[in-house]
Amino acid sequence: MKVHVKHWSAVAQWRWNTGNADQDDEGDVCGICRVPYEGCCPSCKMPGDDCPLIWGECSHIFHMHCLLKWLGTAASKQQCPMDRRPWGAFFSRVLSPTPTPPATT
Amino acid sequence: MASNAVRAQVAAKWQESFARINRAEPGISGLMSFSHAWSLATAFLKPYDLNDPTPRPRHDMRQVREAFDIINKCRRLPVMLEVFLEDLHKSQHLIAREVEDYMNLYESNSDPETVKALIFRLAEWYSAWKPNAELGQTITSAYTLAFQTHLFSILPASFARGVKALVAATLVRTVSQPSDQQDRPLWQAFDTLSLIERYETLIASVGYEYIEVYVLQTCAGSWEEPMLANLRTWMINKIVPWMVWPFARGATNADEAKTMMQGVGSRFDFHMHKTLCDLRTCEIFDIIVDFPDSSGALQDLKECLQRVDQRAELAQSIRQANKKRLLHPGADTKDILLSYVSTIKCLRIVDPPGVLLFKVADPIRRYLRDRPDAIRCIVASLVGDGESGDSLVDDSEPIQPLQQPEIENYADPEWTPEPIDAGPDFRASKTSDIISTIVSIYDSKDLFIKELQVLLAQRLLAIKDGNFDRERRNIEILKIRFGESALQVCEVMLRDMTDSRRIDQHVQSQQSSVIHPTIISRHFWPALETSSIVMPGQFQDMQEQYAKEFTTFKPDKTLRWLPHLGRVQLELEFDDRTVSADVPPLEAAFIELFSEKDTWTVDELASRVGTVSRSAALKSLATWVDIRVLKEDGEHVFKLLSVAEEAIPGTKTAIKQATDELPPVMSVQQQQAEQMKVYWKFIEGMLTNLGSLPLDRIQTMLRLAPGYDRTIEQLGSFMEAAKREGLATVKDGMWRLGK
Repeated sequence: MKVHVKHWSAVAQWRWNTGNADQDDEGDVCGICRVPYEGCCPSCKMPGDDCPLIWGECSHIFHMHCLLKWLGTAASKQQCPMDRRPWGAFFSRVLSPTPTPPATT
Repeated sequence: MASNAVRAQVAAKWQESFARINRAEPGISGLMSFSHAWSLATAFLKPYDLNDPTPRPRHDMRQVREAFDIINKCRRLPVMLEVFLEDLHKSQHLIAREVEDYMNLYESNSDPETVKALIFRLAEWYSAWKPNAELGQTITSAYTLAFQTHLFSILPASFARGVKALVAATLVRTVSQPSDQQDRPLWQAFDTLSLIERYETLIASVGYEYIEVYVLQTCAGSWEEPMLANLRTWMINKIVPWMVWPFARGATNADEAKTMMQGVGSRFDFHMHKTLCDLRTCEIFDIIVDFPDSSGALQDLKECLQRVDQRAELAQSIRQANKKRLLHPGADTKDILLSYVSTIKCLRIVDPPGVLLFKVADPIRRYLRDRPDAIRCIVASLVGDGESGDSLVDDSEPIQPLQQPEIENYADPEWTPEPIDAGPDFRASKTSDIISTIVSIYDSKDLFIKELQVLLAQRLLAIKDGNFDRERRNIEILKIRFGESALQVCEVMLRDMTDSRRIDQHVQSQQSSVIHPTIISRHFWPALETSSIVMPGQFQDMQEQYAKEFTTFKPDKTLRWLPHLGRVQLELEFDDRTVSADVPPLEAAFIELFSEKDTWTVDELASRVGTVSRSAALKSLATWVDIRVLKEDGEHVFKLLSVAEEAIPGTKTAIKQATDELPPVMSVQQQQAEQMKVYWKFIEGMLTNLGSLPLDRIQTMLRLAPGYDRTIEQLGSFMEAAKREGLATVKDGMWRLGK
């Protein structure tokens, strides 16, 4: 017998590629607004591409809007709010994602 | 011995009397003529027996008049009258005998005609004995009084019954032939005997009963058209002509008759309204159910209620009917809701201020609040559940935002006080929007939003053709009602659907695949049932490939499959046949495994797809057995049928499962139960450490737990549930762990 799949309407969830996607089930939260990464920052209504994450060189990840707001305040001194190191966005992470294991667990 | 004085006195009296009677005639000639006149007069007046066959002596009226003149002159008329009445009294046995005969006859045949004959006969007696009108008013009225007193004393109770039947017969005759005058003599006889005054209430009651029967006959069960106008015309055309006889006799012109009949007429009119009102009050439940086909009846009821103050009875009747016929476990929630909506609409017609509605609605609302599926039902009808034709919401009704109960504005120049029968907690609601009224059953609209999310999730995941315009339209409508922000989450869900399609188009353009996933944003969808099945074989390859393509397209995101959700369309190619099937993923996974080898045990299969319960596995396999792809070969061993086999007659073929099962989205209740499981761990810990605790201590301690928001009642029912499962026991209000 051969099984031919004609059409498969499947359901999947998307996750941000935070590096530890395969183990967490509850999901990490943004260190500034305490909302899960897959949620959206307090000023946004739509999650996902409309409210993206920003990866820091210090390995901390925030909602981009949250971080930009933080960096906009004088008190931030352009530092990461978690470890007070100078903030630098880690764009290469976004541009060339580290190969992640298939998310079919 | 009599003294001289006494003797003198007697002599004087004698002289006086003699002088009066003799009237100064010579000798005793005056006395003689008086005596003659007396005997003539008494003979003339003396009541005689009508049944006596001997002809009555004819009296010369001139002589009689002279005789009375003489008696009058002698001032003996009062005595004459007394003697006459005495005679009358003596002769009355004649009437008594006849009345008895007639009434005995009536009792045996119950024919009103007998009573009619009796009444004519009595009128005959009356006029036969009646003194001449010339003799003056005094004697006539004294006679009438004496005659009637006696007559009424001998009439038996059954006579009243007879009169009633007789009057009823005249009413029927008048109604059927309006211009018929044949009852005129009867009414005249009635009048002669003063029966009308005596039986006025009885006659009126005939009218009442007739009206009642007519109203019940014509109006019962016919609710489409207003009946009141017809009834009024009927009253004017049929009842009024009859009323003229008993109630407007002696009227010389129409105006006079109108005045005379005004009292009884308005009583009849009232009675008609009351009868109709009572009838409609009894029927109200069915009228409400029939709405809008019963709007005529409601118009009638409204008018009747203005004449007859029976609002309290109406409210009571609806409440009772609802309690008996609606608010019980046997009634469908949808029916209750529909009926509630009808009630709202109906009572708005009957009583625009809404006092009645307020009184009636309260039990329904309270009942609905306790029904677990009421919210789901309301939400389903809000979004226009496709399967049921009659929606709660009228499409023609304009969509408007939910109205909040407004504080009364006393500065409003149009302000009016609450209606007089409004209860203390009555709130005048200007809302005309049914949905607002229904949503206000619950204290907060959050429940609706949650339920709405669940429903939307179910429907979106069930969509196969990618067309969700209907859901979008629904959400837009609901946005107007509930406000934009409340439906934000639903908005995200809809966008996930469009995004999924766009992403899929892109991915397919890169590398075509049969898998078309719906990619959802978690946190924005209601909790989906979790499962940890792993798709085997080619399915897994497809998933991996697709996920890879996705990550290439969106480098910062990854996909995580929910393999137990969705549908798979398969074609199974056998040596001798091909079988097409549209199945859930688990079933697809199983059949994929059968392409590896032909015989599997259930446990082997289950272990290959991750964790799946044995019952779920058997259920999935049953689908394939049903369409004769597999067969059960020994207990829990399944074998692929490479060559089709005829079904063995007699083996039961399970009914094919409905293929349109809704996706397993957890309902709000399930979610709550799921959450409660977490708290059970806390409770278990508490009870293990502290032995036994009262409910309020458990509640106090649970409040320290993050996110705990249950009331003590909810906790109580949860603990009761735990008790039923044997997890806990309670004694004197102290909870402890079960053994």
